[in-house]
Amino acid sequence: MLKKILLPSILIILSYGFWVSPDFKEIAAGVSIFLFGMLFLEEGFKAFTGGVLEKLLQKTTDKTWKSLLFGVVSTSIMQSSSLVSVITISFISAGLVSLVAGIGIIFGANIGTTTGAWLVAAFGLKVKISAYAMPMLVFGIVLSFQKSKYLKGAGAVLAGLGFLFLGIHYMKEGFEAFKDSFDLASLAVGGYPGLFLFAAIGAAATVVMQSSHATLVLILTALAASQITYENGLALAIGANVGTTITAIIGSLSANVQGKRLAGAHLIFNVVTGVIAIAFISQFIWAVDIVSNKVGIAADNYTMKLAVFHTLFNLTGVLVMVPLIQRLADFLVKSLPEKAKDLAEPLYLNDAAIEFPETVLKALKREVWHLFDSAFEIMAHGINLHRTEILTSPDLEKTIDNDREVHEFDLDDLYESKVKVLYSAIVDFISNSQAHMSSDFAEEMFRLRKAAGEIVECVKHIKHLRKNATKYMLSDNEHIRDEYNQLRYQVAMILREIYRLRGGEGEDVDHALALLEMDELKAEIQSAHAELDMRVAGILRDDRITPTMATSLLNDFNYVDETSRHLLDTAQALLVSHTDLVSEAAQEVVLDEDEIEKASAA
Amino acid sequence: MKFTKLVNKFEKLVKKHEKGVSIEAEKLTKLQQLLSDKRDRYQASLDTTGDAGKRKKLETKLRVVNAQLEKSKKMPLAN
Repeated sequence: MLKKILLPSILIILSYGFWVSPDFKEIAAGVSIFLFGMLFLEEGFKAFTGGVLEKLLQKTTDKTWKSLLFGVVSTSIMQSSSLVSVITISFISAGLVSLVAGIGIIFGANIGTTTGAWLVAAFGLKVKISAYAMPMLVFGIVLSFQKSKYLKGAGAVLAGLGFLFLGIHYMKEGFEAFKDSFDLASLAVGGYPGLFLFAAIGAAATVVMQSSHATLVLILTALAASQITYENGLALAIGANVGTTITAIIGSLSANVQGKRLAGAHLIFNVVTGVIAIAFISQFIWAVDIVSNKVGIAADNYTMKLAVFHTLFNLTGVLVMVPLIQRLADFLVKSLPEKAKDLAEPLYLNDAAIEFPETVLKALKREVWHLFDSAFEIMAHGINLHRTEILTSPDLEKTIDNDREVHEFDLDDLYESKVKVLYSAIVDFISNSQAHMSSDFAEEMFRLRKAAGEIVECVKHIKHLRKNATKYMLSDNEHIRDEYNQLRYQVAMILREIYRLRGGEGEDVDHALALLEMDELKAEIQSAHAELDMRVAGILRDDRITPTMATSLLNDFNYVDETSRHLLDTAQALLVSHTDLVSEAAQEVVLDEDEIEKASAA
Repeated sequence: MKFTKLVNKFEKLVKKHEKGVSIEAEKLTKLQQLLSDKRDRYQASLDTTGDAGKRKKLETKLRVVNAQLEKSKKMPLAN
């Protein structure tokens, strides 16, 4: 309802403003160009997020101070806390960064964003900024027409900065002209009522413009033109900080629980900081005067003093909140609990990650493992075993020989609800993110899609095997029963080994060795195949099994054989870690089919 | 140098950095060491095992590890 009224109201107010004041038109155009510049800047930086930024993020978030520093530096460079937030949410959702580290980054981003005020106050309002804007725009647009992804990115960054400068220029011009016809400063309200009123205006302006940065620039330009008082400017800055969390909350409504938690942390931080700033406003003004005096800012240079204030109160917020970061994370996890997910729901695929290739790959890899887990359960039941039996039995062969319990369940139904749904989600996620990928990443995604497809094939093979495996495991003919138990054992053994080598039991498994051990399993299967052929021929010749039994057995062995190979290929594809060079080296050493055949032959 | 050539060179450099041209010598040596240790372990087990079934499995494993070691020695090293 509110949304329906909000847009027409804004349009009407703007139209009226344009009608009565050409200066207002200029200010509004300045804000629009500034926001347009922000969009360009974000797009440009996204071109560079294909690796460096994500790798850095992963490496620099093991300690709170590092997360904070990452937030400060990345936001200072990119001048967009929202881009940093989006990347952080995508990383938390993919399980690559902890909530505590994510909160640290968001706190840091709040300090980083204050550098914008310094730049505008110290540089943007002093020099004829439009003189820099024009060449930047021209060079930026020329570069953005280039084929290279990085040149395009650099072009967008340059054009973005050009638009930002141009926007500031128009805002400045607009306010200068505006003050001749109308004195906004006459509307100044003193004391706490003024503080709350202007904080609310600052928050509202940020919600409308979706950028605290734009609000702050607007405040600074208005302050430079003496259109608002210094005190009201401070209140507006506090309001802009709170307003930006409302933007984040609106954004997180469609995000997963991790995004909501991070938005919650952002809200708590900014509200606490805002309350502190309002409660101790006179102390802050005093502190700003002292700092300004120390660094040589003139007493009447209110724009610079506002930048000092903005930094000081965000810094205070961080100092107050950092010791409570773990408690805050615990509180958020408790108040925003993860919905108990059905196994079939994708756990790691999150649209927020779609534009960041490294994150997409990591999330995909985890999701394919999740698909493996779902398939594991169905395959275990398919061969009439429990998952726990496979994973914990000290003598798997004996357990299989003794266990004759038939598991009654609808395999097709489980396949549809637990495997197909996940596989579809993976395929859909890959096709949606492909547009944002370079060829290298696309190749890796293709490998992961193939791995997921092979898992699905395995479940289908087990479905075919199930009929005869159930029939013959109950047979009185011990020969056919033993042979089918051997097939059940092979599937169970492969599942168990993959689980072990992957480190599913929490063991610290060396991925490189695990990757290569899969080859040994492949060779074992190959040897088993040759032995089975000879064995079946022998028991058939001795009339211990019927020809029908023999053909069923050979057919079903092919299903088991393919299932085992697919599972091992999938595990090898998933075990390769591009951050671990030893495992990358191991990938090159993995044997091909011919080499396995040669090694398996006695 | 022409501008396009410069761009191509830059792209190649970035790709090289991101992917790595070939396996670093140090990593490969480490991998070979791991495989040698494993081979020695299998050989020691084979020397002490009498069970025919286990021996057969160990022999297969040993052949695989040897093949992997052999392959790793033929791999191109990074400059």
